Amino acid sequence: MTDVTVHRPGPRAFAELLICELKSVARDTAGLIVPIGLPMLILVMNASAAGREPVAHGRTALDVFVLPLVFTMVVATTGIVNMPSFLAYYRRSGILRRLGVTPVSPVMVLVAQAVVGALQIAVGIAAAWILAVLAFGANPPVRAGAAIGVLALTVAAMYAVGLIVAALSPTPNSSVAIGLTVFFLLGATGGMFGGRDSLPEAIATVGQWLPFGAGTEALSAAWMGAPVEAAPLIGLAAAAVCGTVVAALFFRWD
Amino acid sequence: MPATPPSAAVEAERLHKRYGPKVAVEEISLSVATGEIFGILGRNGAGKTTTVELIAGIRKPDRGTVRVLGLDVRRDRARLRQVLGVQLQDATLHAALTVTELVRLYATFYRDPVPAGELIESVGLTASARTRFESLSGGQQQRLSIALALVGRPRVVILDELTTGLDPEARRQMWSTVERLRDSGVTVLLVSHAMEEVERLCDRVALLDAGRVVALDSPAGLVKRAGFAQRITFRAASPVPGGLLEGLAGVDRVRADGDRVVVEGRGDLLQAVSVALVRAGVVATETRGEQAGLDDAFVALTGHRLDTEEEKIR
Repeated sequence: MTDVTVHRPGPRAFAELLICELKSVARDTAGLIVPIGLPMLILVMNASAAGREPVAHGRTALDVFVLPLVFTMVVATTGIVNMPSFLAYYRRSGILRRLGVTPVSPVMVLVAQAVVGALQIAVGIAAAWILAVLAFGANPPVRAGAAIGVLALTVAAMYAVGLIVAALSPTPNSSVAIGLTVFFLLGATGGMFGGRDSLPEAIATVGQWLPFGAGTEALSAAWMGAPVEAAPLIGLAAAAVCGTVVAALFFRWD
Repeated sequence: MPATPPSAAVEAERLHKRYGPKVAVEEISLSVATGEIFGILGRNGAGKTTTVELIAGIRKPDRGTVRVLGLDVRRDRARLRQVLGVQLQDATLHAALTVTELVRLYATFYRDPVPAGELIESVGLTASARTRFESLSGGQQQRLSIALALVGRPRVVILDELTTGLDPEARRQMWSTVERLRDSGVTVLLVSHAMEEVERLCDRVALLDAGRVVALDSPAGLVKRAGFAQRITFRAASPVPGGLLEGLAGVDRVRADGDRVVVEGRGDLLQAVSVALVRAGVVATETRGEQAGLDDAFVALTGHRLDTEEEKIR
């Protein structure tokens, strides 16, 4: 009776799960407004204020300050706010509970959702980038490879922060509130509401290591062709590792 | 892995679970034979859902162990998930996906799933196959949920509140589905508070009250514990002389509440009571006779009625 062999859901299950998640996102049109619409709005609001004078290597303030900020915001909203609130909804509605009694592993569900989020981020960034190029004459980063690398690391770090929020929130609803709070805290210390120069020095220093400040700073450096310093990269990597460990230890199906 | 096959499909031993100060499951042991339809019956808060969650390995008991087909539900989860199908009471599904999409998705989780079309037809959802989950009626959602519990061809199925929210027609359809499951050798653990359902389907029933099994028997065996076989109620136009009915052969108990009289007993009760009333010149109206059922057994065993939640809307 116990000759039960374990069948682990494989690539086919993952593909099906991913397709289903994508269909869910695509059918929820309201959910697409924030990741795609918000960055474009921020861009439009800041683009005209940013001077057209070159700052370095022919890149303008729009290129080296506004675009890194906008792109980091896209990543942060998706990772820290959307992802935990999605998990909150899945928990509250019992979808995760239901999946928890199938052979599918929680990791597969999380990874599928992360891929969906990454695609949303890609669409959001692409939309903002196209608008920036067409309407405001934005220039590509001097070191495109470094910029993409930094962006990928920022995605990992923001997702990790989102996972910490999701794993440690006592109730599903509180995770949305906590996610928003964390988002604004990271944003504020990372220059979302004006340059970090205007912050008290201690806060500015901490903010430089946290994912938002680290992400914008590293992306900004890559854009203007300056060397990306180690500090922001270490900060981003540390956030990614911490979040993954916390999520692995504390993840719950309901 | 034990060399000898376990005799029982489900073996729960001395389960205990508390949530904060509230003890949900005090001490529950039960053993479900392979191929049996086993009912867990009780009121809200009796510990039914916690018990099945412990058996399904979703919750960790404070004390006690559960084996399903010989597998420890906490330690052998990977194997357990292959052979145990679960329909949860309060779980919903991806709202924006259609019936077919959901069945296909869950099918990919198992080695040898039931083909989607066949499964959808077996729960009567063919006409709604392209409807999104959020647009299905409560009963349809329930049927889809049951379909998904069966998609992996499980050997043991847990069905929590199988027919809550279903109309009578759909209810009967669900019952035939469960009977077909038994015919194919599947062991079914059925959580319910619907007496009719339990009486019709279950081979044995565990009656839960305040986190304990207060009785475990076949439905017929439980009914016997009601302490009587029949009950007659009537309205007496004039007072029934004291001792008139109590002295009759076959009468166990007489209760009077105003002009309403309830007589419980066995044998040819109605005949005996009618004759006695006529002889005493008491006119009886609204006379009603009924056989003892699980409801009565429930009252006899727990001291309260089950039907307070019959109308519960999910």
